[in-house]
Amino acid sequence: MRPLDEAETTQVFEKLFKFTGNNLKNLVDSPSHEGPDQNPGRYCFRLHKNRVYYVSESLVKRATNVKRENLVAMGTNIGKFTKSGKFHLTIQALNLLAANAKHKVWLKPTSEMSFLYGNDVVKGGLGRITDNINAYDGVVVFSMSDLPLGFGIAAKSTQDCRKMDPNGLVVIRQADTGEYLRNQDDL
Amino acid sequence: MGNKKQKQKVVLPPELPPDVPEDEIEVSDEDLDFVNKNQEYAGFVSKLDTQSITRHINRVADVKEDALESLYEKRSRKKSLATDNTQLEVDPVDALPVKTLDGEVYYRKVSKAPNNFKNAQIEDETVGENDDIARDNGVVKLTKAEKRAKLKKLRKEAKKQGTPVTEVEEVQQTSQAEVLAEVEKDLSVEESNEKKKFRLAELGTSMLTDPEGNIKSLKEMLQLCKDGDPAISILGLKSLLAVFKDIIPGNRIRLPTDKELAMVVSKDVKKTRFYESTLLTVYKAYLQKLMGLEKVAGFKRVAIRCICTLLEANPRFNFRESLLGIVMKNISSTDDVIRKLCCNTIKSLFTNEGKHGGEVTVEAVQLIANLVKAHDCDLHPDSVEVFLSLSFDEDLRKPEAPKKLDNKTKKKNFKKGRKNDDAHQVPASDKKKNKQEMMSKTREEVKAEFMAASFAQDAMEKRRIQSDTLSAVFQTYFRILKHTMHSGKEGNESISGPFGEHPLLAPCLDGIGKFSHLIDLDFMADLMNYLRKLAGGTSDSNGGGITDSSHPSRLTVSERLRCCIVAFKVMRSNLDALNVDLQDFFIQLYNLILEYRPGRDQGEVLAEAMKIMLCDDRQHDMQRAAAFIKRLASFSLCFGAAESMAALVTLKHLLQKNVKCRDLLENDVGGGSLSGSIAKYQPYATDPSLSGAFATVLWELTLLSKHYHPTVSTMASGISTITNAHDQVYRANVSPQQAFMDMKVDQESFVPKSGQKSNKRKKGGKPAALEAADGGAVVDEEAVRVKLSEHFLLVNEMEENERMRRELERTKLGLQLYKEYKKQKKQKTK
Repeated sequence: MRPLDEAETTQVFEKLFKFTGNNLKNLVDSPSHEGPDQNPGRYCFRLHKNRVYYVSESLVKRATNVKRENLVAMGTNIGKFTKSGKFHLTIQALNLLAANAKHKVWLKPTSEMSFLYGNDVVKGGLGRITDNINAYDGVVVFSMSDLPLGFGIAAKSTQDCRKMDPNGLVVIRQADTGEYLRNQDDL
Repeated sequence: MGNKKQKQKVVLPPELPPDVPEDEIEVSDEDLDFVNKNQEYAGFVSKLDTQSITRHINRVADVKEDALESLYEKRSRKKSLATDNTQLEVDPVDALPVKTLDGEVYYRKVSKAPNNFKNAQIEDETVGENDDIARDNGVVKLTKAEKRAKLKKLRKEAKKQGTPVTEVEEVQQTSQAEVLAEVEKDLSVEESNEKKKFRLAELGTSMLTDPEGNIKSLKEMLQLCKDGDPAISILGLKSLLAVFKDIIPGNRIRLPTDKELAMVVSKDVKKTRFYESTLLTVYKAYLQKLMGLEKVAGFKRVAIRCICTLLEANPRFNFRESLLGIVMKNISSTDDVIRKLCCNTIKSLFTNEGKHGGEVTVEAVQLIANLVKAHDCDLHPDSVEVFLSLSFDEDLRKPEAPKKLDNKTKKKNFKKGRKNDDAHQVPASDKKKNKQEMMSKTREEVKAEFMAASFAQDAMEKRRIQSDTLSAVFQTYFRILKHTMHSGKEGNESISGPFGEHPLLAPCLDGIGKFSHLIDLDFMADLMNYLRKLAGGTSDSNGGGITDSSHPSRLTVSERLRCCIVAFKVMRSNLDALNVDLQDFFIQLYNLILEYRPGRDQGEVLAEAMKIMLCDDRQHDMQRAAAFIKRLASFSLCFGAAESMAALVTLKHLLQKNVKCRDLLENDVGGGSLSGSIAKYQPYATDPSLSGAFATVLWELTLLSKHYHPTVSTMASGISTITNAHDQVYRANVSPQQAFMDMKVDQESFVPKSGQKSNKRKKGGKPAALEAADGGAVVDEEAVRVKLSEHFLLVNEMEENERMRRELERTKLGLQLYKEYKKQKKQKTK
């Protein structure tokens, strides 16, 4: 377990910024409410076995007591570095992203299932969309009852979405909650 | 008066059969005969009130339809101004001979002279009134001038018919001669003015009776306009206006070319040509005169009024461009009267497009666009507000299709048949082909002629005009928006013209809201971007809205609210297909609610924003809805009854829509903190979805249920009883706007009583007890007043005491310091 080095930090933050925009500040600044400490620490990012964890400081202190091989996970896993050195967000980061999302897409109930099976979002399945999305922005996908389902990358800007036919891709899926069932081993 | 009219109606028909010959003299001969035969009737004629006589004469003289029409118009106008007329006609001197009439001529002779004087006096009055035209209505003015003209007309008729007329007319004439003689005796300036006025009136009436014959007198009238006396020239301008208004044809006059002039033409054509060319030259000179006077301070209003009336009456006639140009120049005048005149003219041009076929509309709109450009958006709001009275066809693009369809359906059978025929007749002889070509050619010609003749406009032409207009309008709107943005970006440099900060923004936003369904989808993105930036104030992002609210050149809260409203309207009117969530505007509204100040900002706008953004929108984020609920509750605590009522109505609406948000009503510690990701409520968060409103409870409602205003308190307690348990289907059918207006009206009459509480508690109870409570309240009030005044006195004294003591201490300290200083000085000197 170690803190991220500079290159890694920029990679992680760039990825998060795509989804949260200026709310990234909240992510870093928000006081932690875990642990019995009187003074709630901040959250920080830690790298452990190629995975990035979003952990409260108090938890980090306690985790140091555990041997490295024995430490499986701590805090929230938000992504991993691939073998080629790229950072990928994983589905566990969804809660974090959903709370601070800048761009959102709501799915119609009929297309929720399709998305949860790992498909992309087409225009026909779009229930609602935030204004002012640009192409390749990160978007968080919600059900109509505001339940976060996953996240992805916008294929088109909001403006272009208007002119598209109902079969056009709107969001390219990156992660969805269905993965908890499909890829249990990987996670 | 009514009596007289009736009499006249009874008498007239035998006198003047409807098919009287055109010639005036013949008629008068008939009259003469008739009158001579029946002296009694003649006497009666003399004392008829002038109005009916004029009517009578007109009916005889003007057999032409146009003139008749105009007469009818005038008559109806006159009816509406009956009050003015009565003053003129039923004056005692006039009425006197009527009552005592026994056919005695002498008696009338005496009474006639003063009568004339009376007329002169009346004219004086009108002149006096003309001097301050501004205060008076234009229509009144005109009819008065006409009225006078008609009075004179009567006399002129008499003159024309020469001396050997009836006794009565002789009497009239002699009386007038007397007056004229008197006038000539005095020969003072005033009297000569009187003469000029008479002359004007005579010329005017003669013009109206026979415009073709008397066209030359226009020139004389124009000469009179150039009189040194302002009153006379104003009168001249006005009478010319009245004349022009009636005689100008509905179409444009084209002067004959030289070639055409060279041709030999019939007498009639020559006459018409002469008439038209004279009319045109005089009209031109008149306009030049008006334009010259328009710059002179004293004449400005008159000139503008004349120009506006001319433009409004005959938008198709020659020189309308220059007229329009002048109107445009004054549309943003600082003078309220002139501006209103110009605006009303333009508005009527816009609304009565059928009168001129839309061309003037395009010109006017383009002129306004140029004006806005030239003045850098620093004009009076009225000048852009006129756009609101424009009207466009609902489907600007579509008219082509249905028309084609029509043609198709009509000619379907024809075409089918003919096509088949054509197919068969391909190898037919050339002769037949030629014949067919001829046929089609003639058909086309006939069609073209028909199109030219018919008033119906070409659909294509209409479309072109409308799209031109539309593009000019939107060009103006976007220019204004852009300008507002840039002036905001410049920061400290606040360029506030005579019309305030951003004078054109409000009408511009209104216009965009109204015509938003006509904007091209491609522009929509830019428009929304602009609106977003404007709504966000000049300092965008990181929600600096609160920090620099004192910035001089930023938009006011109402303007920013308007931007939000317009954005939603635009979104709703044409982007309904895709359900877009206008997050940024919600954030703006969320912050603007905090910045709202009841005195400074318009509560109506806020109420409208609440209605459109919060009540009408179909779906909300739970977090956001909760945040808005919380903020509205806090908001309603700090402002007046009207605002809080509007907020409460919205709040109720939101609560009913969002079942989850009712957690806020639960009294658990920390509310429904589990459902939100943010553990603690942050009241100052700028983003509603980050405020963590779920972590709090609506304690404000409990306070509000003790509100001094009964309606608010009942509303608040009503809201707090909405529970998760019974899911009410009930929908509030009152919009926040309505609630706001109701309360605002209510507020003015509402006086918070001290006995309010007891009143409320006993609402269901007996009225007797209620009264008693009221009585108690009155007594209480007395006591309270006495006690309060005592208390205030006491507090006042204490304050005074303290102040004095402080002063004493200060002086003591000063003295001490001074002593020390002196001591030190002494030591030093030593």
